[in-house]
Amino acid sequence: MIVINSIFIIDDDSITVFGIKKLLSSVVICDQITSFTNGKDAIQLIKSNITKPEDLPDVIFLDLNMPIMDGWGFLDEIITIPTQKIMTINIVTSSISHSDRERAMTYKLKTQHRLTYNTKPLNKAEILKITSTSQQDINF
Amino acid sequence: MGLNFEVVHISDSWKEHYGPFFNEAVGTNILENFPSLASSWKSDFEKCFLGYSTAPARDSLFFNGKTLWLEWILSPWFDEDENVIGAIIQVEDVSEMVKVQQELSKLKILVDVKAEIAKIGSWEFNAVTDELYWNTMTKILHEVPLDFEPNMKTAIDFYKPGDSQLKITECVNRSIKNGEPWKEKLQLTTAKNNDIWVMATGKPLFQNNTLIGIIGTFQDITEEVLAAQKTKENEQLLKTLIDHLPLNVFVKDLNSRKIVVNKAECDYIGKPYNEIIGKDDFELYDEKVAQISREEDLSVIKTLVPILGAETTNTKLNGEKTTFLTSKIPLTDEHNCVKGIIGFSLDISQIKQKEEQLTRLVNISNLQNKKLVDFAHIISHNLRSHTANFSMLLGFLIKEKNEVERDNLLQMLMNSSDNLLETLDNLNEVVAINSTKVLEKNSINLSITTSSILNNLKHLIKSKNASITNLIPTDLFVKGLPAYIENILQNVISNAIKFAKSDSPHEVRLSAEKSSGYVVITVKDNGSGIDLEKNKNKIFGMYKTFHEQPNSRGIGLYIAKNQIEAMNGKFKIDSTLGLGTTFKIYLDDCN
Repeated sequence: MIVINSIFIIDDDSITVFGIKKLLSSVVICDQITSFTNGKDAIQLIKSNITKPEDLPDVIFLDLNMPIMDGWGFLDEIITIPTQKIMTINIVTSSISHSDRERAMTYKLKTQHRLTYNTKPLNKAEILKITSTSQQDINF
Repeated sequence: MGLNFEVVHISDSWKEHYGPFFNEAVGTNILENFPSLASSWKSDFEKCFLGYSTAPARDSLFFNGKTLWLEWILSPWFDEDENVIGAIIQVEDVSEMVKVQQELSKLKILVDVKAEIAKIGSWEFNAVTDELYWNTMTKILHEVPLDFEPNMKTAIDFYKPGDSQLKITECVNRSIKNGEPWKEKLQLTTAKNNDIWVMATGKPLFQNNTLIGIIGTFQDITEEVLAAQKTKENEQLLKTLIDHLPLNVFVKDLNSRKIVVNKAECDYIGKPYNEIIGKDDFELYDEKVAQISREEDLSVIKTLVPILGAETTNTKLNGEKTTFLTSKIPLTDEHNCVKGIIGFSLDISQIKQKEEQLTRLVNISNLQNKKLVDFAHIISHNLRSHTANFSMLLGFLIKEKNEVERDNLLQMLMNSSDNLLETLDNLNEVVAINSTKVLEKNSINLSITTSSILNNLKHLIKSKNASITNLIPTDLFVKGLPAYIENILQNVISNAIKFAKSDSPHEVRLSAEKSSGYVVITVKDNGSGIDLEKNKNKIFGMYKTFHEQPNSRGIGLYIAKNQIEAMNGKFKIDSTLGLGTTFKIYLDDCN
């Protein structure tokens, strides 16, 4: 089992949140899994913990379509936050639109964080890959 | 002169006249004194000595650098018994006369040559003898033999019966009666039956108020008349051609004044030909248009580069606008000097209008296409999010052994299924709005409708502690589908109430007015406002919410927008974060 300190799930759909949590429970050990129904709440928490890198999430699951602050808004904010920490941000969306995927790729060039693009539903293999990738890089 | 040619006597007038030239003196031999005349005089004298007089003779002699012409008469000199004892010589200096005669014959030759080249004959009528004289050229022009002897009647008979004959007769009569000269272009048939055109002139001559004759000229002008006719025919051909071209044709001089226009151009300007010729564009068109046109003309005149098929808009003095395809070509004379421009304008207003209609249609269909694509995205996205959940939950369910957990998963599947059904209902509603043609619109009293909606919303208003100001005139009616209008107002007003700021009293103001074909309903609040820059895609998007109000499903404004558009209306929003939001609903007030 992979041990991860903190995971954020940002999605307004409770079933997706439930599913991600359930999949995670079978592959990682993590004491802090926090979920948010919009990007604004998550970004506020990250901003307030900026001086405590240990409290910043190692892995983020991010929906794109949400009220108040959607996934794009969250990405716009997080790339401006100054931190040494490298987070793995995984976009998880029901959109299979090509333009959304391309738009997500543009953020890859603008940030030190790892960025992946996944479509719903997530499965166990994908969760394993996401979490182990983050773990390997931490070992570096 | 004695019989031996010796000078016997010299008259005083001889001495006075010829003294300075000759040294003859009584007793000298006259033949020796005039050596150049000696031989002709000698034989004349000998005749004289036989008792005959000679006819006047003349000859010239060169003397002291001058040519003298002398004319002489010799007569025998008799004594009392009729015996010839000598000869008398009378000499006259005719130098001046000879000079005049020579000038005259020179002039005559000149006149003849000129007459021949110009084909101008002359004639003379002697009123006293009633005789008519034609010179050679006149005879040649009449194609009569040179020995032809004309009289007044035969001369007039050569003219073509009808106009020409009547006219010449009248001219002759008037000149005899009133002394008027004439100059007429007439038709005439020659002796060889050829039809020619002549310029006939005549001038009566009077002496002591009595007509003594008429002189005149007679000129063949057939070629000129035919050339003029040909020119006229060509002109007619050209005029017919340009008048019937479905184009406005104009020719302008260097000052851009019109010197030729065709019928289409006259019709377009709306003035007769005579009122257009000589005018420039400033006198015919709007000043701005005229200025542009003048600059075009100047450029063509200056560079000699034609303007071909340029799209121009012309405005007449009455403000009427026309779109033309205009060409302007430099007009040059035979020495390639520019003397103006030739212009062609094709009225393409109708084509232009069709083009605009087409562009409008293309824009509409593009817009509709975009709407359809957006809608397809909405559908695929919404359906996909539900099916993704199904797929995931079913995956869990298959592997789950725990009964409690299985029940939990099944409950979630049920919820997902309900959500999908609701989504499908919403989508159906949108499709129905967009595919229903709003054919019949009812007249709806806005004030009454708004009051009933506010009544429905009284709990929300109370919970938000909002104060509503309803300024909608009681007599304002709007045309539309009652169900749509109610839903639109319900959504926009409840939205405005929900946007309350937590820290200050919330006010919503409703008003409506007619404005350029629309009834505009304004819903203005002083609430939290929206950052339009960040949320522009969300406001009217399906399932898009940008606020933290509970029970927001992100469908209300989307449906309202579709309903407004289905009734040919539009939706506008203006908002400043922290200051409030203004929604404007434009409802079509025409048909």
